[in-house]
Amino acid sequence: MKREHRYASWGAHAFAVVLVLGAVLPFVWMLLSSFKTAPELNGADKQLLPASLYLGNYEKLADTNFFSYFLNSVVVAAGTTTIALLLAILAGYGFARFTFVGNRGMLLIVVAAQMFPAIMLAIPLFTTIKVLGLLDSLLGLILVYTSFALPFCIWLMRNYFLAVPVETEEAALIDGCTRGKALWRVVLPPALPGVMAAAVFTIINAWEEFLYANTFIDTDAKRTLSVGINSLLGEFTTDWGRMLAAGVLVMIPVLVIFGYLQRYVTEIAGGGVKG
Amino acid sequence: MTTHVTDARLVAARRRRILRRRFEPVLYIAPAFIVLAAIIAFPVLSAIGTSFLDASLLRPGQDTFTGVDNYVELLADPTFRSAFGRTFVWAGSALVVQVGLALVIATTLNKKLFARGVVRTTLIIPWVVPTVLVALIWRFLLDPVSGPINDLLRPILADPPIWLADTRWALPMLVLISAWKWTPFSAVIILAGLQQIPRELYEAAMMDGANAWRRFTSVTVPAIRTSLALVTLTTISGAINNFNGIWMFTRGGPNGATEILTTYAYRTAFVQFDFGKASAISVMIFLMMLVLAVLYFYAIEGRSPKKRSVR
Repeated sequence: MKREHRYASWGAHAFAVVLVLGAVLPFVWMLLSSFKTAPELNGADKQLLPASLYLGNYEKLADTNFFSYFLNSVVVAAGTTTIALLLAILAGYGFARFTFVGNRGMLLIVVAAQMFPAIMLAIPLFTTIKVLGLLDSLLGLILVYTSFALPFCIWLMRNYFLAVPVETEEAALIDGCTRGKALWRVVLPPALPGVMAAAVFTIINAWEEFLYANTFIDTDAKRTLSVGINSLLGEFTTDWGRMLAAGVLVMIPVLVIFGYLQRYVTEIAGGGVKG
Repeated sequence: MTTHVTDARLVAARRRRILRRRFEPVLYIAPAFIVLAAIIAFPVLSAIGTSFLDASLLRPGQDTFTGVDNYVELLADPTFRSAFGRTFVWAGSALVVQVGLALVIATTLNKKLFARGVVRTTLIIPWVVPTVLVALIWRFLLDPVSGPINDLLRPILADPPIWLADTRWALPMLVLISAWKWTPFSAVIILAGLQQIPRELYEAAMMDGANAWRRFTSVTVPAIRTSLALVTLTTISGAINNFNGIWMFTRGGPNGATEILTTYAYRTAFVQFDFGKASAISVMIFLMMLVLAVLYFYAIEGRSPKKRSVR
């Protein structure tokens, strides 16, 4: 068999370049503009590049609660990911290894839970969180985000555990491992890409979420990035420099996490197709 | 003698083992389901219940049962009707734009491109970025006064549009911005489907004299049916459930031009504090999702029950 070495046409490459520019240019524009002074941003004679590396926009962020928002988002994302993964690994393993009545039905529920309208749960959750005394607390958000991440994470973990041969695990059990130990030592390592994909999914969602963070949190200093930046946007629509500087700082961890975990992102899509 | 004792012990041990084996799955699955029940199942039932009440945050503890009054009121409410219709327009245009674009992107990425991995990785970036950042960037780019897009248009157009503040432009722009963020996800799913298609299928079709369009409709589409169905489902349900993608840009405005059911429900609940009516709106959204889910399972699960069994 002759192997295909020829690259696709020039047209396909040109189209790919257009796509990449479309995805990247808005971010580049944000980065460049964040170094521009107010007259440069709003003046009549605009240049593509900033005149100098002006850092005033970044310094002005210190007047806002931006850095608290940032820290809060990190805490919520880390807490959610830890708890959700722990529960999803256990449940995913349960679904993959034991067949019992209603297994398929339960899985359907797990998948359908993905589609619940967030807005529908906003009111009852608001009431519940209030009763629990978790209103205006990051812990309340972590709890809510965990449960929203769980269905998909369970589904993903189950698919990965199914691919791990039962024989290796049985060997470990015969050698005197408990099931818990076998799961941790034998089953989990080969399923690590699934764990990473589930982590990426949970982190992305925790950073993204706005509806609940907006309704459950009152104190400005306890807001997460989504809510905090949205409120700053309402406040400083004329001071774009400061907002763009905030945008650049939000973008950095997203790119770092994404750069490190990007190969697992496709697993998220794959997890949905498989099974 | 001793054998009797050991027998009894063995039986007891076996019984315990059987008992443990029966309850072991529960041990693994229970923690997750307790959290799910508390945070999802209970609130769903509670929301359905509240939709039959006259409930307001302004009058705590004074909820009264009013039957289907909230629903009757909604059907007569012109704002609800237009938001309901606009939700379909919103989801329909999202479907056409996003799945159409995703197909084109995935087909391109499935070719042998120079630096294909880098291209694919770069294209996914808008998807991993939180919506608030998308709102920040695009509200700046589309700013009528200091935004670069109108700077570019000003030499050509005497009076460039005010985009998100214009009742005619706001919804189409939001559809495009949403597509900018969400299309990459659909493209990745479709690409995963495309990569599963064996080359031989195309070669055979070519030998049978099928042109490019025919190969697309007769080989590609049937082969990626599952991916397409999944993308269709996630796009429609994502659009109907979308709240951030509208609220952070226009809050349903200008003059209600971008109000869909989610923003209307939110406004009713947390601006007007009418929890009963807002619950009724969200139950309507829920019913739309239910219909979608049933259609999906009927189309995908129904046709191949064997393949989709538990193992």
